[in-house]
Amino acid sequence: MEELTIALTKGRLADKTMELFTKAGFSCEEMKEDTRRLIFHNKEQNLNFFLSKGPDVPTYVERGAADIGVVGSDIILEEKRRAYEVLDLGFGRCRMCVAGPESARERLQHHEMIRVASKYPNIARDYFYHEKHQTVDIIKLNGSVELGPVVGLSDVIVDIVETGSTLRANGLDVLETVCDISARMIVNQVSMQMKQERIRELILAVRKALES
Amino acid sequence: MGDRSRQELLHTPEGLWDHYGADCAQYETVTQMIGETMHRYGYEDIKTPTFEFFDVFSREIGTTPSRELYKFFDKEGNTLVLRPDFTPSVARCAAKYFMDDTAPLKLCYEGSAFTNTSNLQGKLKESTQMGAEYINDDSAQADAEMLALLIEALLGVGLDQFQITVGNMEYFKGVCDAAGLDEETEGELRDYVSGKNYFAAENLLKKQTIDAGLAEQFLQLTSLAGNDRDLEKLEENAPNERAAAAIRRLMEVYGILKLYGYEKYISFDLALLSRYRYYTGILFKAYTYGVGDQVATGGRYDTLLSQFGKNAPAIGFMFQIDTLIEAMRTQNVGPLVSPAPEIVTYTKDDFKSKLVKVQKARQAGRHIALVPEKE
Repeated sequence: MEELTIALTKGRLADKTMELFTKAGFSCEEMKEDTRRLIFHNKEQNLNFFLSKGPDVPTYVERGAADIGVVGSDIILEEKRRAYEVLDLGFGRCRMCVAGPESARERLQHHEMIRVASKYPNIARDYFYHEKHQTVDIIKLNGSVELGPVVGLSDVIVDIVETGSTLRANGLDVLETVCDISARMIVNQVSMQMKQERIRELILAVRKALES
Repeated sequence: MGDRSRQELLHTPEGLWDHYGADCAQYETVTQMIGETMHRYGYEDIKTPTFEFFDVFSREIGTTPSRELYKFFDKEGNTLVLRPDFTPSVARCAAKYFMDDTAPLKLCYEGSAFTNTSNLQGKLKESTQMGAEYINDDSAQADAEMLALLIEALLGVGLDQFQITVGNMEYFKGVCDAAGLDEETEGELRDYVSGKNYFAAENLLKKQTIDAGLAEQFLQLTSLAGNDRDLEKLEENAPNERAAAAIRRLMEVYGILKLYGYEKYISFDLALLSRYRYYTGILFKAYTYGVGDQVATGGRYDTLLSQFGKNAPAIGFMFQIDTLIEAMRTQNVGPLVSPAPEIVTYTKDDFKSKLVKVQKARQAGRHIALVPEKE
């Protein structure tokens, strides 16, 4: 049996993924132990799992360090790596939104210049350039993006929104939806050909587990 | 230790490498061996300029987005571009020198190509490409020859675990015709199908008012990897003549490859599509273990030469030599690279006698460096 290496997004997404994979018949006992290790094996099924930061998952998959990856579609859109996107896993659902104070709504109606703070500069640029045809000044932030409009760094933000409670607590609202987000399974293009049978089998098993 | 301020000069820009010693020798050996295979098939070397007018690589012709081209100006204000790949140059060259010639033309090339990719993605900005182009022949025999040449070149450098995946753009276009999809939907669908994005393709098709059977055919595209029998079935079920003809072409090519004895390296994938209008018929990619990228790509581009005023069918492929060598290193295969040269030392007193000896050995073909003995 050929070896398969799977890259997971550290945190809640990894837990959800392992739940689904276990249901599909691919488990990893080693991962259940509480350790600081980053890579885990399932010797019987010849599977390796490793945990990494979300934005790195498409990188590992594109370069073939992992055959398969599970990552949010926000990151796939932002990173624009070459990999096959084969399954929508349905969990990790949220929306990519433009948010800001109510007063900023007016600025989105015209093609005038707008300042946007975001962890996702590529997604923000694509949206304002190609869908809104609006000139933007994009400011890349690395977290707590909500601060942008609050302290006057930007007019609006582009960020993922799950419940919207952080937004509301800071006096911001969702002004527009850019797209829906969920966890996706991606596959390296070479692995898809060279390890075709194994990967096909895994995709089918996971799809079946999703449907049940 | 050298002068610290001068050491600042030592490193190259990102995405550019020095090659020296055994590494350089391996590049040399591999390109030489592939070149020999191409010459055995009657392909003749062609050299085109490293940079050309921007229009040669423009959007209608090239496959590299404008922002990834290295551009500069000449004194007259023309925009020039460092070639991102060779095919447009070779097409221009063939159109220029063989405008009214209809005899088959077989050309091969080797050299550096330049793309201004983003930093920190581990991608080369200067890469070595090597390829072959076959102009003025639109037959299945020409398609098969290209594939056979590709396979033989890979075998020639010592790889035996690889796979060539072959598709045909015409099949997808045929199914799109049958479904009556508009151009925009077709483009969107092409991106999903080529990305094996089954669920997005499904959602898109649900929004269209097309026949359920046809929708099923699109979705089959994403999961198909076939052999002879699969192809026959697809041909029977093809929604129109265009799609059926595309499958028949693949069957014909497959039949010819059996004559070469290379059919076992071939598999079919009708979801193998290209975003570029460039490709018109069969297209293919070569995969092997140990690297995350294909080692070679190619296909038929029957309309490209007409961009340069010559109506002629053509097919070609190109090796990414850097990726190929990386794969060979991970798999630990490949030709023996000639060993480092022998070293012979001399002193002031015995220089004359050493020189005579060394010159004799050199003429016999040995590689010898003559160096002064250290005191």
